[in-house]
Amino acid sequence: MIGSAAQFTSNRRAEREAEPAPLALKRQRKQAAVTHESVRNFVLAWPFPLAVLAFWYVAASRGWVAAQVLPSPETVASTFADLFRSGELLANLKISLWRVLGGFAAGALCGLCLGVSMGLSSTFKDYVYPLFKAFAQIPVLGWLPLMMMLVGIDEALKIILISKAALVPIAVNTYKGIQNVPAGYVEVARVFRFTRLQLLQKVIFPAAFPPIWNGIRYGFTHAWLALVVVELLASSEGLGFMIVFGRQLFQLDVVMAAVVMVGIVGFSLDKILALTERRLLGWRRHGF
Amino acid sequence: MAHAGTLTISNLSKQYEVKGEVLPVLKDITLTINPGEFVSIVGSSGCGKSTLLRLLIGLEEDYQGEILLDGGRIVGTSLERGIVFQEHRLFPWLSVEKNIGLGLLNAKVPEEEKRRSIQEHIELVGLSGFETAYPYQLSGGMAQRVAIARALVNRPEILLLDEPFGALDALTRAHLQQELHRIWQQESITMILVTHDVEEAIYLGDKVVVMEPRPGRVRRIVPVALAHPRDRAAYEFVRIKEDVMREFIGQPAEEVIEPPLRAHDAPSDRLPSTFRFAV
Ligand SMILES: Nc1ncnc2c1ncn2[C@@H]1O[C@H](COP(=O)(O)OP(=O)(O)O)[C@@H](O)[C@H]1O
Ligand SMILES: [Mg+2]
Repeated sequence: MIGSAAQFTSNRRAEREAEPAPLALKRQRKQAAVTHESVRNFVLAWPFPLAVLAFWYVAASRGWVAAQVLPSPETVASTFADLFRSGELLANLKISLWRVLGGFAAGALCGLCLGVSMGLSSTFKDYVYPLFKAFAQIPVLGWLPLMMMLVGIDEALKIILISKAALVPIAVNTYKGIQNVPAGYVEVARVFRFTRLQLLQKVIFPAAFPPIWNGIRYGFTHAWLALVVVELLASSEGLGFMIVFGRQLFQLDVVMAAVVMVGIVGFSLDKILALTERRLLGWRRHGF
Repeated sequence: MAHAGTLTISNLSKQYEVKGEVLPVLKDITLTINPGEFVSIVGSSGCGKSTLLRLLIGLEEDYQGEILLDGGRIVGTSLERGIVFQEHRLFPWLSVEKNIGLGLLNAKVPEEEKRRSIQEHIELVGLSGFETAYPYQLSGGMAQRVAIARALVNRPEILLLDEPFGALDALTRAHLQQELHRIWQQESITMILVTHDVEEAIYLGDKVVVMEPRPGRVRRIVPVALAHPRDRAAYEFVRIKEDVMREFIGQPAEEVIEPPLRAHDAPSDRLPSTFRFAV
C-alpha cells in the first residue's frame, strides 16, 4: 500500500517534469528570445566591421594606398554628408528604390504564379519546367545584350532584368515548397473533408510557406544585386550610375559613398524582411 | 452523445501493385464491430494493420469484399469517423486550439458552440493552459493527446487509432491508456485500436483481434471479459496475455519484433527542407 502510494507520487512527478508548465513556456519563449540572444548577436556583429574600418583608416592615413585610389574614411564620410545634403544621394536612391521595388514586385508576382502553377499541376510543370530551368541558368549579364536590342536601354530594360532576377528563386522555391508538402497533412485534410479551397488555404500554402518565404528573400537579394549591375552598365541615374560616374571622374570618395549607401539600404531591406519573417514564422523551432 | 453504428467487414481483401507485381496485403478479413465496442488489433509489423485502418477511414478505396457501416457501404472519408495516426500529424503552424479546431472546420454548428467544444476537448485530454502553445513546444505524449482531441472534437461515431502510443515511454503510455479508456467510457463511441503491444490491447479491448502477416489475415479473435479497471498483474489478465502471445509463436521471429519507424512513418512535424538557389 505504502509502496504503491510512493510509486504514485513518483509517477506524478515524472509527469510534471515531462511537461513544461504553460506559464513557464511563455516566459521561456519571450525572455530567452529577446534578452539573451539579441544582445549576444548585437555584440558579436560589431567587432568585424569595426576592424575593417580601422584597417581602412590606418591604410589611408599611412598612405599605403594612394589617396586618389583609396580615400580615407573621413573624406568618404564628408563626401557622403555633402551628397546627402545636396540631395543628390537621395534623388539617386529614390530612383534605384523605385526600380528595385517595381522589378521585384513584377518578378515576385510572376514567380509566385509560375511556382504555384507548377506545384499544383504536374502537367503544367512537365511543359514548363525544363525550359524554365534553362532560362534560369542564364545570368542577368547574359540577358543584357539581347534585351538591349529588344527593348532599348530605358526603364523597361531595368525592370525586366531585375524582375527576372527575383522571379527565378521565387518560382523554384514556391514549386518545390508545394511539391514537398507532406502527404500526411493532405490526408488529415481528407479525413476532415476539406474542400479544395480549404486544402489550399489551410494546408498547402501554410505548409509551403517557409520555403516560399525563403524564395522571396533570395529573390529580393537577387533583385538588389541585379539593380546595381544594370545601373552600372546602362543608366544615367541611380546609385549604380553614381558608382560608374564617380569612377570615370576619378572621384573615388563619391564611389565609396554610393557603395556605402547601397550596402546600408540592401542591409536594411533584408532586415525588414527578416523581422517580417519572425512575425510570420514564429511557430518554427530553430534547429541550430 | 454519438450514435455509433455497427461496422461489418466481410471477406475484405486488399492488394497493392508494386512495380507491376501484385502484393497482397489483406486477405479475407471478416470482422464485426458492435456499437460502442473497443476492439484492439494486434499483429506484427507489416501485416496490414495500418492498411486496414486506412480502408475503414476511407483513405483507400480500391478493395475487394465489403465494409459496411449500419448496412451502408463506406465511400470516402466521413466526419462520422475519426482517426489518430501513428505520427500525430499536427500542423506545426497552428496552435493547439487551432489544430483541434480543424476537426470542426466543416461541422455545421455555430461558432460559439465550436469554441466551447474545443475548450471541452482540451480539458478532456488534460491540456488546459496549453491552448496557444505550438506543436514544437509539446512533448510527444502531449502532441498525441492533441491529436486525440482533434479526432474527437467533431464527435465521430467511430474512432480509429493507429499505434497512437507506439513512440512514447512506458510511463506516459500507461497514463494515456488510462485516459483513453476514460474517454471511451465517457463518450461511448466505438474505438478500434491498432497496436503491437499485447498488454495494451488486452488492457483496453473488449476483444483482441490477432492478425498474421503475408498476407494479413485474422488469426484469432480473443474476447476479454474482464471488468474495468483492469489489473495487469491479475491472474486472468496474464492468462489472456499468454494466450495471445502463443498465437505469435508460429510466426516468423523477425516479424514479431517491431522495427524502428520507417522513413515515411517518421514524425512529420518537419517541413520540407528549404534549399538555396544560386543564379
Ligand atoms: N501505398 C503502398 N504501396 C505499396 N505497398 C504498401 C503501401 N502501403 C503499405 N504497403 C505494404 O503493405 C504492407 C502492410 O503495411 P501496413 O498496413 O503499413 O502494415 P502495419 O501497419 O501492420 O505495419 C507492408 O508490406 C507495406 O510495405
Ligand atoms: Mg502501421
